[in-house]
Amino acid sequence: MMHSIGTEPYIMLSLVLFLMGAMGVLMRRNAILVFMSVELMLNSANLALVAFAQQWQQINGHVFVFFVMTVAAAEVAVGLALIVNIFRERQSINIDDLQQMQG
Amino acid sequence: MEWLFLVVSFVAVVAAGLMLTRQNAVHSALFLIVNFGCVAFLYLMLDAPFLAMVQVTVYTGAIMVLFLFVIMLLGAEATTDTSGRIRWLGFVSTAVAILILLIFGFPIASDMLSDDAVEPLEAKAHLRVINALAAGEGTAFGVIEPGMDYSASAMDRTLLEGAVNVDVALDSLDDSLSDIAFESVVHFGARDATPGYTELPAGSYALRASLSATAGDRVFTTVPIVSRDLQLAADDALTLVAFEGSDNLISMVLLADDLSAPSVGSMRLTLINGVADAQVSLVDIGQYTAIRSLCEDNSCDALIPHRVVAADLPSGESLSVELDEGKYNLAFVDSQQNVLRTLVDYEAERGRVETRLLVRDPGVPGGQASYRAVMFDALGKPAFGSPESIGQVLFIDYVLPVQLVGILLLVALIGVIVLARPDALRQAERRRVNQRRRVSRPLVSVLSQQTGTDVLSGDYLAKLPGGSDDPAND
Repeated sequence: MMHSIGTEPYIMLSLVLFLMGAMGVLMRRNAILVFMSVELMLNSANLALVAFAQQWQQINGHVFVFFVMTVAAAEVAVGLALIVNIFRERQSINIDDLQQMQG
Repeated sequence: MEWLFLVVSFVAVVAAGLMLTRQNAVHSALFLIVNFGCVAFLYLMLDAPFLAMVQVTVYTGAIMVLFLFVIMLLGAEATTDTSGRIRWLGFVSTAVAILILLIFGFPIASDMLSDDAVEPLEAKAHLRVINALAAGEGTAFGVIEPGMDYSASAMDRTLLEGAVNVDVALDSLDDSLSDIAFESVVHFGARDATPGYTELPAGSYALRASLSATAGDRVFTTVPIVSRDLQLAADDALTLVAFEGSDNLISMVLLADDLSAPSVGSMRLTLINGVADAQVSLVDIGQYTAIRSLCEDNSCDALIPHRVVAADLPSGESLSVELDEGKYNLAFVDSQQNVLRTLVDYEAERGRVETRLLVRDPGVPGGQASYRAVMFDALGKPAFGSPESIGQVLFIDYVLPVQLVGILLLVALIGVIVLARPDALRQAERRRVNQRRRVSRPLVSVLSQQTGTDVLSGDYLAKLPGGSDDPAND
């Protein structure tokens, strides 16, 4: 049982990691890296959930993290299949090239 | 612990930063694995060992392998960020991120540095009260005279009718907590009396337990028989038992319980001896069916071959034993090897935590003494964050979401198969070929006109550049 440092440091770290992920989504043009940044954001949200679950001794937070992980796994599988298909069609996964749906 | 957190979080942030800035996507993926590993370590520090293992297997294992696989399959390691918008977008997003960090991070940081930072909730302490004072028909209990000597934690019984209540008052000595209302009376009248534990925050308390009974329409209450200060730490579990001690005196004892989960494949049986002046042993009498039926009538005095489970438990004390899963024939025997009570076909379920209190049944006055082994359930609470605790919540409270997530995974699986099937590849290829044909059609029509033959029919088309289905021609 390591209770000594409290919840705030974890929330702070979670905030930093979330913002780094958001910056990655905005700045990187490689679709795979955008995807990895989204995973980073999901992970930071999970970290916050686990920290709060520990603070309030509520196991529901852990269950929610479990669901987030499952959904993330499904999302990654479908997303990567889409990326592979896009790459086959266009020989590029630069998201700036994917503008045919832009109005 | 602070330095450990600082080191791990520093590594996590640095790995995330490197992931964002590497041009080679494989390097980015490897740094993301480092970051996920750090997060898994932080889960361990946050009492979530199960989630830490899931994080390692699902994220750093399955998901990142999938990423690396796709990156290497596509040969997309070094896609350069060549967009013209990237520079101003980078500046703006960095500025916004720093702004958000200041807005949200400042209150968190100021909380972190101040002394009144929110401490994580501690696990609760537990206290329960068992009133083992059986009030049989015609049983009389004592009137308490003021000025009696209570140093022996006892109460005399004389002419008082009806059941005796145990009144418990618990006051917090900690100023920050208000006084706690406690379930003060637990009757032992019914056979299925199952007083549960009351959860209490850790701290110091003043416990006062007294007895009350009625005679006619008057209520008699004793002065506190148990009056002591308690230091309850987290995960402590105490049982206050009131039972008939020797010489018709009522005694109260405070016993420490073990609420942790029993070891794998076994149950924990906590025995409380509430019989006056008797050392009680619990023995396993095995599968002797003939003797079993004898003992069920409480008439088998001679002891059968047996295995001692718990030996010589003095009056007013408790003992915890672990039984392997299975069926048992158990018997409570006293020091003269007389069988007091049998538990025939006693089923030990794994993971179960049970309390058995052996008390004397008042029965018919003047009749033969009989005994009861009263059961009090106390399901072992699994440790916070352990696989058991998550499994219990997941498959009891969240069954429907679990099913829905299963369906979601199935749909995702089917979607991936549909997206990745070879047909999709061929369709995409055909679309590209058609695009090229459209470009080269004017040239073909010119050729047809000049040569006078229909170039678009026959196998001429296959000889056109880009007309074949072979991507190697690209």
